[in-house]
Amino acid sequence: MRRALPLPFTVLAILGAGFVVLPVVALVIRVPWGEARHALEGVGASTAFRLSLEVSLAATAISVVVGIPLAWTLARITFPGRSVLRAMVVLPVVLPPVVGGLGLLEALGRGGVVGRWLYSALGIQLTFTTAGAIVATTFVAMPLIVLATESGLRSIDLRYERAGAALGGSPWYVMRRVTLPMIAPQLAAGAVLTWARALGEFGATITFAGNLAGRTQTLPLAVYQARETDPGGAVLLSLILVALSLVVLIALRGRLAEAR
Amino acid sequence: MRKATRIVAITLALMAAACSSSNSRTTSPGGGTTKLTVFAASSLTGAFTQIGIDFEASNSGTTVDFNFGSSTDLAAQIASEGTADVFASASGKAMDAVQAKPGVTGRTDFATNQLVIVTPANDPGGVSSMQDLTKPDVKLVLAAVGVPVGDYARQALTNAGILDAATANVVSDEQDDASVLAKVASGEADAGIVYTSDVSTAASSGTHVRSVDIPAALNVTATYPIAVVTGATRSAAAQAFVAYVTGSSGQATLKTFGFGPPPAG
Repeated sequence: MRRALPLPFTVLAILGAGFVVLPVVALVIRVPWGEARHALEGVGASTAFRLSLEVSLAATAISVVVGIPLAWTLARITFPGRSVLRAMVVLPVVLPPVVGGLGLLEALGRGGVVGRWLYSALGIQLTFTTAGAIVATTFVAMPLIVLATESGLRSIDLRYERAGAALGGSPWYVMRRVTLPMIAPQLAAGAVLTWARALGEFGATITFAGNLAGRTQTLPLAVYQARETDPGGAVLLSLILVALSLVVLIALRGRLAEAR
Repeated sequence: MRKATRIVAITLALMAAACSSSNSRTTSPGGGTTKLTVFAASSLTGAFTQIGIDFEASNSGTTVDFNFGSSTDLAAQIASEGTADVFASASGKAMDAVQAKPGVTGRTDFATNQLVIVTPANDPGGVSSMQDLTKPDVKLVLAAVGVPVGDYARQALTNAGILDAATANVVSDEQDDASVLAKVASGEADAGIVYTSDVSTAASSGTHVRSVDIPAALNVTATYPIAVVTGATRSAAAQAFVAYVTGSSGQATLKTFGFGPPPAG
């Protein structure tokens, strides 16, 4: 028995699907398969790919280490300004990344509010470095793990934690043996989403860290530069990003289904 | 089956409606305004914005929309989308590409520009000559290879015999001259190479950088061509705009923004 949808609805759905699928199909059609290898070498694909992995994994690691405690605080502790802080923490999701990059420049750049001290006291300049690219990427990607952790924490029954504490478990023990295992699926999904977002980061990185092959030029930046000099190579690079992201999202769908 | 056909038919009808409505907007019914789309090199941002205002004032009923960016990038956009009426390029090469596809009419050189080294006002890298760009730890920012100002800058460095030493100091390949200037003006980079017009334009908008001259014998002159793009839907207005840019008032504005006159002949 087929469930029927109203006709206009189906038409709109087809338009929507076509709109999303068409650009990806167009990329596949326009890939210069014959000269693929040559084109990939021309745009420095392997360097950009390696750097992208490095930057996105480092950003994910930092996001997990800092983001989970942050989400915990937001979910479990009541303090003045909590809702404002929560909004600020999630802001990078909706903010244009270039605005994030500009903010980072004013904060951590060589002449920035904090960056000035980093530079004069420790000689550290983040702009134009791989570390700077990681900082920019973390800024944009971290909210995803925070959101996932917080929603996980809010969804579980607090009585389990109370029972663990009543039985004499220290807060650290309860967190480790009761709470974390219960929200593990959400944490995993959040970490993967964070990584996927990190992999696609462009605007904050180019604004804050600049664009140099092998140092700050991740795959999205390499695509942007290759557009000018080697459109075919740009299409190929884009397809690598599309493939990577699709694999992540499909794998994630499996995980999320499991979590339910 | 019949239902599927109907769905496809309605979808196509919707798409056709969407296309035709966008067409009717561009043909500008009598008495309405003509909207002119000008694609121009990023270095022309200040000058052309002013010229656009002046042109609109003396051609009532015509509005000018600009798309500023790297000339190479714009040329690629024109070839694939063909939405530009006028193209003003920072290099002959990018104009050649548009001339080949989709084609141009009335191509003429309208301005020249030269290169200059810029540093933050407090000169953190101690750059006071071209040779200083090779000093260790100078953070140099250039436009990427393939962007006209990036290619011209590398040509000037080659003329000075310091291409390798200077490019070893490059910390970022930027997408256009405006981005190079932004990285220097923010104080993050020690030096960059941009057009002389960029410095005048920046100063007029309150951004102050320090400039260091490149010796005339080593400098590179960029010649800017402008043309009406073949297939322009508003070609009369496009021709008028080109005439305005090459005419006396357009030239005077370009001069205030630091551009040189077109090469003689």
